[in-house]
Amino acid sequence: MAEVRLVDVEKRYGGFLALPKQSLTIEEGEFLVLLGPSGCGKTTTMRMIAGLEEITSGDILIGGERVNDKPPKDRDIAMVFQNYGLYPHMTVQQNIAYPLKLRGVDRKAREARVRETAEKVELGALLHRRPSELSGGQRQRVALARAIVRTPKIFLMDEPLSNLDAKLRVSMRAELKHLHHELGVTTVYVTHDQMEAMTLASRVAVMREGRIVQLDTPKKIYSEPADLFVAGFIGSPSMNLVEGHITGGRFEAPGVSIPVAAAERGDVVLGIRPEDLELTTAEAPPIRGKLYALELTGEATLVTLREGATSICARGPAEFEAEIDAACALAPRPGARIHLFDKTTGQRIAA
Amino acid sequence: MKRILLWWAERALLVLVSVIVLFPIAWMFLTAFKSPRDAYSLSLNFTPTFNNFVTVFSHPWNLGDMVLNSVVVASVTVLIAVPCASLAAYSFSRFRVRGRKFLFFLVLSTQFIPAVVIVLPFFLMFRQLGLLDTRIALIIVNLAIVTPFVIWMIKGYIDAIPTDSEEAAMIDGASRLRVIWDIVLPVAAPGILTSAIFCFILTWNEFLFSLILTRRDAVTLPVGLVNFRTERGDLWELMSAAGVMITVPIFIMALLIQKHFTRGMTAGAVK
Amino acid sequence: MRDRSLQYVLLVPAFVIVLATTFYPLAYSLTTAFRDWDLTRSRRPEGWVGFDNFAHAFTESHFLNSLWVTTIFVVTSVALTLVIAMSLALLLRRKGRMHTFTRVVLILPFAMSPALIGVSYRFMFNPEFGVLSNGLAAIFPWLEGTAWLADPELAMAILVLTDVWHWAPYMTFMCLGGLASIPRETEEAARIDGASNIRIFFGIILPQMKGVLLVTAILKTIFALKMFDQVVTLTGGGPGTSTETLAYFIFNVGFEWYDMGYASALAWILTAIMMTISIWYVRMLLSERKMATA
Repeated sequence: MAEVRLVDVEKRYGGFLALPKQSLTIEEGEFLVLLGPSGCGKTTTMRMIAGLEEITSGDILIGGERVNDKPPKDRDIAMVFQNYGLYPHMTVQQNIAYPLKLRGVDRKAREARVRETAEKVELGALLHRRPSELSGGQRQRVALARAIVRTPKIFLMDEPLSNLDAKLRVSMRAELKHLHHELGVTTVYVTHDQMEAMTLASRVAVMREGRIVQLDTPKKIYSEPADLFVAGFIGSPSMNLVEGHITGGRFEAPGVSIPVAAAERGDVVLGIRPEDLELTTAEAPPIRGKLYALELTGEATLVTLREGATSICARGPAEFEAEIDAACALAPRPGARIHLFDKTTGQRIAA
Repeated sequence: MKRILLWWAERALLVLVSVIVLFPIAWMFLTAFKSPRDAYSLSLNFTPTFNNFVTVFSHPWNLGDMVLNSVVVASVTVLIAVPCASLAAYSFSRFRVRGRKFLFFLVLSTQFIPAVVIVLPFFLMFRQLGLLDTRIALIIVNLAIVTPFVIWMIKGYIDAIPTDSEEAAMIDGASRLRVIWDIVLPVAAPGILTSAIFCFILTWNEFLFSLILTRRDAVTLPVGLVNFRTERGDLWELMSAAGVMITVPIFIMALLIQKHFTRGMTAGAVK
Repeated sequence: MRDRSLQYVLLVPAFVIVLATTFYPLAYSLTTAFRDWDLTRSRRPEGWVGFDNFAHAFTESHFLNSLWVTTIFVVTSVALTLVIAMSLALLLRRKGRMHTFTRVVLILPFAMSPALIGVSYRFMFNPEFGVLSNGLAAIFPWLEGTAWLADPELAMAILVLTDVWHWAPYMTFMCLGGLASIPRETEEAARIDGASNIRIFFGIILPQMKGVLLVTAILKTIFALKMFDQVVTLTGGGPGTSTETLAYFIFNVGFEWYDMGYASALAWILTAIMMTISIWYVRMLLSERKMATA
């Protein structure tokens, strides 16, 4: 268990700047998720911590020790790969035992430890199979077992669930969370799935184009997104973002007029989550438009309105029904959060 | 109706192709078991005999010596070329070596050099060193042809292996050499074996070098064939028997690794 | 050991071999090409003669003949091999027991020694007791008494035949590999759109095979330019000089006449030809790739 610190780390490929200079501290025992769309640099960041990728400048410290020049094998880390990275020519047993073998653990102790670990991830019956004879979920477990068979200082997980089907993903997610609770090892986890990030993380670092744009708890990131990118990336369905201007204490846009507590200005983007909106029959509704689509999700109905270029989605009751193109009206629920962003910089405007 | 016709046409074509390929080989095998008189008669009605094989292995033909030369030259060439080429192929495949493109081009460019260009200076050098008509000379020259080819082929196989397992092994605590030994070699083994057999075939069948650099002691099988052209004319039945000796081991190898073999042909080239 | 040094260390053994066995002799032969060195006259290299050896080549009918012979051989054998390989690949693409069997059979010619192939065909086309010369005469009576290998054109045709027999199967596997990498959907979509088989081949399959066919063509051209073994065992360059390819001519100059300087110069001319053609092909291939990815 250890703290990981990236100090002024920068990564270039030749002349191309992949990751600009920045620092990040991952606290001891923390579950930190690096979240962002593909190509945002999250995997590169993780690979630099692992030592699979060299850093151009700056320092990486694990447990207070500078590891820049240490090869991966000497960093005392364990990693789970997106494609599992299993050894195809070894059995499950040999796969899990390999890290112990490399550390000179004797055969008896090795076997006991492998058996114990395999039980923990429910692989006990499959020890003599080859990876090619396992299902995706089982391979995932082998990769996990191989990582936890010894107690490393940190766990690194690179989109470990992305190759599983939706149902398995949810159950493995719970297992990972429980495992982290049980072992308490500092964990860095890379994903592009905001749902995974929200459910697993103690803190989330949202990345975009090589930069960490927000680093905070999932709750904070959801309720106070730092900019338009984070606002649009977190939450499903994603936050409604409407361009407009503020006049006389109201946000105005085609079909939208909502009172806001902000100074008068043009070029503003208003953000409001679908779950913060409700259908209304009031006389002068804040949001008006024609019904564009109705999507039943089971426990609710997603109602999408269109007015000119504006498109707004709200979460309505499951029973709601109406004709397409019918006139519709929405209003913020009591206590709803309304977010305002600067249109040019994308930054959040403090209320 | 049209369907059935096409179906039969396709089968007929397949048979035709097989016949065209197999006929010359089959004819050579048949001739090898014919007595000299039958060999010139075109008859399929003959009593098979092993006499030709007995004759070629005895004085003055001594095919046994040539078999030994071929086996030694081809095996040693493979044993030197394949390990060296595997290491180089790994480096080319996995590292961004400075000047890698240039080095790899250098290796590939050797394939565009005709063998005659290389054999001329080697002939002169070996003559000076007294190495003419030795197996060592043949091995050295064969290495020139085979090594770049094997590097290229094995690189194709290693490129096709995902790097995940190697990275996992490094994180699990293995050094780079350990990774190569524990992970890369076992996983690439079928490809390396295939390359080794390709290499063996090329060396075994090699003709030009042996023709120029050997006279008596180090003659290999393909050049041995030329010996059966005598003042009395070509001794076809003996040539065929020798041909069978050249062909059989190679055919067995090629068929043993048949699946990998065809993949090997496509692997490097398509990329 | 750090990766940075290891990556070079791994290259060392192979490069020692390549440098010692290829680049050193190349340098040696390049210097020899500018010397006058007749091995029957002197055991040591004699004086420098500048470009005389090269100049001599282009005024000598012998050399010009071999250039012409090589051109004819390369063009016909490459064209035939490509067409046959592509056709066979289309034929063998489908699954079936006969297909599998034929595919296995096709491995054999590549594994057979080219020298032996030459010998076999020489035997089969022997005018008196050759199985093919007699067989063909039985089917086509007017071929009776044809002296196949004594006729300049026929000898060349048979030389090409042996080479195509040797290489077309190998190239078939390359084409099969190319065919396998074409996504099935494109062909199926065309079929649903109502395209005929011929249109599918020329409109869908062939364009996607361009890259593979170019690579195949490069390799086959190189092999054809290097081809030597069958000339020795099948025709001996004859009748006359009608099948004397450049590679064979160089061999003669070097090891029948022992004119090392001239042979080296000729060898470098052959190298230059191969390099030029290869570079030209690779250019085409690269522009093809660019178009494919654009």
